[in-house]
Amino acid sequence: MAEFFGPLVSAFALPFMARALVVLLALSLVAGIVGVLVNLRSLEFISDGLTHSVFPGIAIGFVWGGREGLFVGAMVAAILAAIVLTLITRRAVSGDAAIAIVFTAMFSIGILVVSRQTNYAGQLEQLLFGRLLTVTTAEVAQTLTICAIALLLVGLTLKQQVFRAFDRTALAAAGYRPLLLDLVLNIAIALVVVAASSAVGNLLVLAVLIVPGAVARLITVRLWLLFPLAAVFAALCAWVGLAVGYEASVTAGIDLPSGATVVLVLVAGYLLVLVGRLAVDRMRRPASAVPAAGAQPETVAT
Amino acid sequence: MGYFEKALFAAAVIGALSGLVGTLVLLRRRTFFAQALTHATFPGAVAAALLGVSIPLGAAVAAAVIVMIMTLLGRVRRQGSQVASGIMLTAGFALGVLLQALNPSLPVHVESYLVGSILTVTDGDVILAATVLGVAVLVAVLFGKEILFSTFDRTGFRAAGYREWPIELLTLVLITATVVTAMPAVGAILAIALIAAPAAAARLVVRTAAGIVVLAPLIGAGSGIIGVLLSRSLDVAAGPAIALTAAACFLLALGVRSLGARVRGVHAPGRAGLRLES
Repeated sequence: MAEFFGPLVSAFALPFMARALVVLLALSLVAGIVGVLVNLRSLEFISDGLTHSVFPGIAIGFVWGGREGLFVGAMVAAILAAIVLTLITRRAVSGDAAIAIVFTAMFSIGILVVSRQTNYAGQLEQLLFGRLLTVTTAEVAQTLTICAIALLLVGLTLKQQVFRAFDRTALAAAGYRPLLLDLVLNIAIALVVVAASSAVGNLLVLAVLIVPGAVARLITVRLWLLFPLAAVFAALCAWVGLAVGYEASVTAGIDLPSGATVVLVLVAGYLLVLVGRLAVDRMRRPASAVPAAGAQPETVAT
Repeated sequence: MGYFEKALFAAAVIGALSGLVGTLVLLRRRTFFAQALTHATFPGAVAAALLGVSIPLGAAVAAAVIVMIMTLLGRVRRQGSQVASGIMLTAGFALGVLLQALNPSLPVHVESYLVGSILTVTDGDVILAATVLGVAVLVAVLFGKEILFSTFDRTGFRAAGYREWPIELLTLVLITATVVTAMPAVGAILAIALIAAPAAAARLVVRTAAGIVVLAPLIGAGSGIIGVLLSRSLDVAAGPAIALTAAACFLLALGVRSLGARVRGVHAPGRAGLRLES
């Protein structure tokens, strides 16, 4: 028993592993709230667009002010992209094509800026995959602060956000402003992307925003259970993923990229839950012919 | 043919193909699906390089598997196509990164995969793209009516006695083939730009579906050629130049349309008067 569970604990005695775990646990909390809303509102594509749109900010910031400029640039680009994407999905001819055009254009600007620099490849790779194991204490503090702001933004409007996800017309009729709510949620997603992009990379942020929410939807139909379930699932996978990556490099000598490992553990967890869900559904069907009605928001046109 | 002329030709062919198939993607709302495909075929490309077979073949096999999984996932209760696309996108890309990190000597790199390098396209890439373009045009001519019918009125299409899955399969195969053939030459991000922007721009300025199908490939090919020329004269990377040209076309179309709406709105009586005179 001890030799199986030992690595799950002992690895995190190392300070760099502990820092990585702290960052990922903060992101798990974010996944529990923002990620569930992303799932309920079907904002997966906007989230993907935001992760790409941050890139020109990082590139311009880096050229202009070095490592400090990087963060400011990312923040400006993220908030700008969140505003543009919110407005464009509301007004433009066809939402998802407009999202694609905006993020590919912004990403292209980033590439143009970076391609004039010498360490072009390094920048892009770091943005995509982060440096989970070389995060500094200052970066941990930065990530925690921005995640807290994002959580605060969404937490304060959580009730309205859920209302918005299920019935936009009723929300507007009740006197709330859907546009404002959309803007708050998209800015929160953008903040999470910025907070995490230097530490864990875009790929992992996107997985954390998308996968735990989907898992929670598979497990339960009770709305308020979605939030804790998604957070716990994300935290568990982050923990196991980091430990697996550590074990592989220490005992087997295989150098697994930590971000990708955590993503794959998340997806493996999703598949496990999916198979379990389908099996349970199959067993239950003969007993109760009526499918359980539960958290099933209308397909929201974004 | 020099490398530059070949790049121009490749840009035109891929632009036209993406514009044509992009119309399908736009009207059937499959942009996120296409985006997920571009990222999720990465492990296929890496595995193909690992096994020493042709990279587009590996990507095509991966794409077929991914489309199948996404279709199944999309049918699970409380999951849907957006979730399926999102999960396949992250899972596929992570798997590709892992495979690549385990075999660092492989010639498939993330940067070139995302951005592409049109100046180094091979004859094979160009021939493949031209073949797919030919097939796409053939499909548009032969089945265009059925595809449009099922896209705009699914219920009516079924009620008229057609079956839906052959059309769905046909469009999925076309989208997948386009993504797979366009990507080695132009990269994942650019492929999406070329698929989304020309069709969206055409939709803004033309009113009929047939008009969009004709105009979108022209805009796509034009963006490709202008982008490659701009990249040479301004000394910047070709991929982003093409993507930005396509985005500029969309902005231009947006401007033309709002200008047109304004002119019509303000001068409507005057135009009526003109018409009476003529």
